[in-house]
Amino acid sequence: MSRASMLAARLLLLALALGLWEALPRLGWVDDEILPPFSAVFVTALQLLQRPAIHGDLVTTGLQLGAALIISVPTGVLLGILLAENKRLAQVCEPLLYFLFSVPKSIFLPLFILTLGISFWQKVAFGCFSTILIVLMSATAAVRSVREEHVLTARSYGATRAQITRHVYLPSMLPVLLEALRLAVIFSTTAVVLAEMYASRSGIGQQIASWGESFMMRQLFAGVLIVSVTAIVINEFIRWIENRCSHWRS
Amino acid sequence: MKQALSERAVTERPMIEVIGLGHTYESRGVASRALEDIALTVQAGRFTVIVGPSGCGKSSLLMMMAGLRRQTEGTILVDGRPMLDPDPDRVGVVFQDANLFPWLSAIDNVAFPLMLRGLGRSERLDRASAMLELVGLGHAGARYPSELSGGMKQRVSIARGLVQDPPVLLMDEPFAALDEQTRMTMGEELLRIWSQTSKTVVFVTHSLSEAVYLADEVLVMSAHPGRIIDRIEVELPRPRTYEMMATATFGQLRDRIWRQIRSPQPGNPA
Amino acid sequence: MSPSAIRWLIGGILLVLWEVLPRAGLVPQLFLPALSQTIAVAIADWRIFAEALAVTLSEAAVALVFACGGGILAGALLGSVARLRGLLLPVVSSLYAVPLVVLYPVFTAWFGIGAQSKIAFASLYGFFPTLLGTAAGIQTIDAQLLVTARSMGATLSQRLRHVVLPAAIPTVIASLRLGGALVIVGVVVSEMLTSSAGIGYLITSYRTVLDSPRVYVGILLVLLLGVLLDLGMRLLEHAATRHRPSAVPRRAAPAI
Ligand SMILES: Nc1ncnc2c1ncn2[C@@H]1O[C@H](COP(=O)(O)OP(=O)(O)OP(=O)(O)O)[C@@H](O)[C@H]1O
Ligand SMILES: [Mg+2]
Repeated sequence: MSRASMLAARLLLLALALGLWEALPRLGWVDDEILPPFSAVFVTALQLLQRPAIHGDLVTTGLQLGAALIISVPTGVLLGILLAENKRLAQVCEPLLYFLFSVPKSIFLPLFILTLGISFWQKVAFGCFSTILIVLMSATAAVRSVREEHVLTARSYGATRAQITRHVYLPSMLPVLLEALRLAVIFSTTAVVLAEMYASRSGIGQQIASWGESFMMRQLFAGVLIVSVTAIVINEFIRWIENRCSHWRS
Repeated sequence: MKQALSERAVTERPMIEVIGLGHTYESRGVASRALEDIALTVQAGRFTVIVGPSGCGKSSLLMMMAGLRRQTEGTILVDGRPMLDPDPDRVGVVFQDANLFPWLSAIDNVAFPLMLRGLGRSERLDRASAMLELVGLGHAGARYPSELSGGMKQRVSIARGLVQDPPVLLMDEPFAALDEQTRMTMGEELLRIWSQTSKTVVFVTHSLSEAVYLADEVLVMSAHPGRIIDRIEVELPRPRTYEMMATATFGQLRDRIWRQIRSPQPGNPA
Repeated sequence: MSPSAIRWLIGGILLVLWEVLPRAGLVPQLFLPALSQTIAVAIADWRIFAEALAVTLSEAAVALVFACGGGILAGALLGSVARLRGLLLPVVSSLYAVPLVVLYPVFTAWFGIGAQSKIAFASLYGFFPTLLGTAAGIQTIDAQLLVTARSMGATLSQRLRHVVLPAAIPTVIASLRLGGALVIVGVVVSEMLTSSAGIGYLITSYRTVLDSPRVYVGILLVLLLGVLLDLGMRLLEHAATRHRPSAVPRRAAPAI
């Protein structure tokens, strides 16, 4: 199958899923109090997006997410490079990090509330905590993915340190780092939204939780739709950049 | 036993007949001619070696003889009947990689084809251990593939190819992944096994010395499309020895094959 | 000193600090109750915690059946049918970006605040990673083995039974391991959000009354559960892959 027909097939699949979502309540097979039809949810989402209160929530969530990423990604990358460059440190720390990496982060959320209270920075801190390890481990992997032969070849042609960094390290590491960024966005989105749903006064996660509690199904589904579409769009955008930067990889 | 088998050439009977075979691969709408006008006959009990440049269609031809791939034109008869599907009663196959099942011990790997046919466990193991004995691995039946060397794995693979006692054994570069020394001893071993079992063997290789050392007859192929451009009868006496490789006859045969393969045009029909 | 000795040392120092810092008043007891106090509370209240743990475990077990049953089946399908894979794998990895936790309120609205919602959410939470892991594992099955089996006259069902199935076992176990870790997280998270029983519920209730020692006990229990499960699965994996040097690419559970 060609790329175009593949894409067409996927769109068809999407249309089918949405059509089913629309048809089930409309044909009365499912109560529309339980599953509001897609069109109604879509309209609700558009209406919600015009409300200043929702803007406030989205901005809050976005700021928390942004702050978490701005702190955790550079820190994680630096620590990861340090770890990759320092063999002794890696020997000691890697098993520990690997263990921490596989530990579920969400169960620590109550501790962040106990120490930082229910606040903006509590969510940022939890976001960083959930994200930093994946970034760190990816950065280590990125440094290790730079092939010794390539560095040697560059040196044998008299490349300076700066040139090696620019022309060997960066292009080899960039795709892995972008992948790390993508995962970081996924992880910290989940973390921030979860923290908002758990205990918060604002943010889209808090809104979704309260719509759920008061059985406002249209708003609830609209909120889920907004969050999902945003997450997918951001994810695809980073993936698109990733592909552009790593076209030479097969 | 050896005495009786050295007379195998006396009972002339075609075991493999390939008639007017051609093959065109088609991938994504692009057709490419892989084999053209292949005709050959292998007498029962003969050792035939196929050589030719990379991509000339040796593996394809072997796959068709094994019934693993259907040719687009022509007929293949094994033991007088067409080869349309794999038939372990007539043909055993040994590949370049031993392809042993990693979750089975050596003896269970050898017994695998018998298991497929529903033989009882004790009979399976008896026959499999006899085969392992034949390839010199009677002691290693309980070991798993990951505990065997490359040469040992390939021996297990050969034992597996022989366990159903098919009259024909097809071997596609079976020793290509081995180092030179192992390869030499494996060649000797194979000839010993062959002389003890009276199989008809078709053997693909890239090594010219191996070809001359093993073969009764060498078929030389050319590429684009794959044709048979020469048949060379190797009239060195058997049993073959390592010393024969230094003789003038051996060198001449080797030379002749090399010149055929190197020639840019396939304008040299046999 | 050897790296592992240093690690033990670090662990030891952390435990000592855990005891000393709160006792010395350098860290508020609310943030970090002393280790001994935490243990004392765990022993005193063991029955409450055990009951909550039993609830969580039973729900996780049911969710594991759904998540892994579905994930392994769908993954095997995607892994073995190239066309389907090309069509759907990008879709699945796009969906992976969605923070699934936003769906939990939908489940509680549908099924109420009980086991059903938790099981539904945890199943979904474990489903996609299990699917992706299985699909990747199935793809690593050596196609040559199938050709070899065919050359021995194996029928399709024989090839499935004697080649694909045994070759897939390590993948299946790895998927169970990943899925198991994820469904536990899924159940605990949903208990923390809205529920009326289970270890996550306990953690949240103690958190709202600022009972730090019991919050810590709850968290430690969940960690312990995860570690034990991982250990058990690893033993199983080891037993099943004894003779295969590099059967399945290792994947760490991306637990959030
Ligand atoms: N499944 C296939 N689809 C399309 N073309 C194929 C296929 N298999 C082989 N070919 C083509 O057919 C030709 C012959 O391939 P084959 O593998 O038989 O060669 P070979 O002589 O065994 O080569 P080598 O010595 O490298 O093993 C090649 O040009 C190859 O590209
Ligand atoms: Mg070949």
